[in-house]
Amino acid sequence: MTRRQFARSVAGTAVFGGALGAGLLKPGIAKERESFTPVPIPGGSPGLGGAFHVFAPNLLDPPDAEPITITNMNGFVGLAYISGMVTQTNIQTGETLRLPFLNSDMRFMQGVFRGADGEVHRGSFALV
Amino acid sequence: MDVYQLRAGDPTPTPIHDLNPSTFPPVGLFWTVQLPEDSIEVQLGKGSASLQAWDVPILDYGNILNALFNGDNPPPVPGSVSFKVVWSGVNQRVKIRNTDPTFGGFAGEFVSDPLATSSSTFAEIGHERNGSFFP
Repeated sequence: MTRRQFARSVAGTAVFGGALGAGLLKPGIAKERESFTPVPIPGGSPGLGGAFHVFAPNLLDPPDAEPITITNMNGFVGLAYISGMVTQTNIQTGETLRLPFLNSDMRFMQGVFRGADGEVHRGSFALV
Repeated sequence: MDVYQLRAGDPTPTPIHDLNPSTFPPVGLFWTVQLPEDSIEVQLGKGSASLQAWDVPILDYGNILNALFNGDNPPPVPGSVSFKVVWSGVNQRVKIRNTDPTFGGFAGEFVSDPLATSSSTFAEIGHERNGSFFP
């Protein structure tokens, strides 16, 4: 059995919130990063010209294309193309807007990987 | 993530935000950001998983073409996103060993979720090995 056979049987639910505006960059997560660096997968989707280290299974690429963006990895992966509504908040004015998002590519990766330093690390990642 | 605006009389949604965590050009690790360990929960046996994060720094490129190919038309605006994504249910389980020189180089077991909420067009969770972990 191949992934092509279940390519259309899917589900995922999501709740999104966003805040946009100058000066909103929050360094909290970045500070938690360690000094190791994951290595991108080689190659990339021909549908995007091959220059970007990502594949889009069942969207631009075959359903059994590589869903992970990190190479030398052994771990869990999840992928969903999700449509729904997002709440946009202007944190300066407090104004909120409900807006649609379409086919948003959301992924997680969690496990061990060999970083650019050659050592094996454990990490959790999201493609947003 | 691409956010759209619906305009009266126009059946085609207009992209107004393209949010991702990468600086331009996205030639390294693609749109991928590290998260705390407890942001992700996976129970592959039950076919369920969740991804949750708060205040993830992103840049708003306005539309995906600008995010991928232009970078400064319009200039990206910093912001943050919070989200929760839930995978649930089991439709089928498959084992994949993909040696295709373009799309493959990995092996793993994957679960597809049933079409229950109809909010996604394709979803999967799994466990895989690639690169030096690919036998």
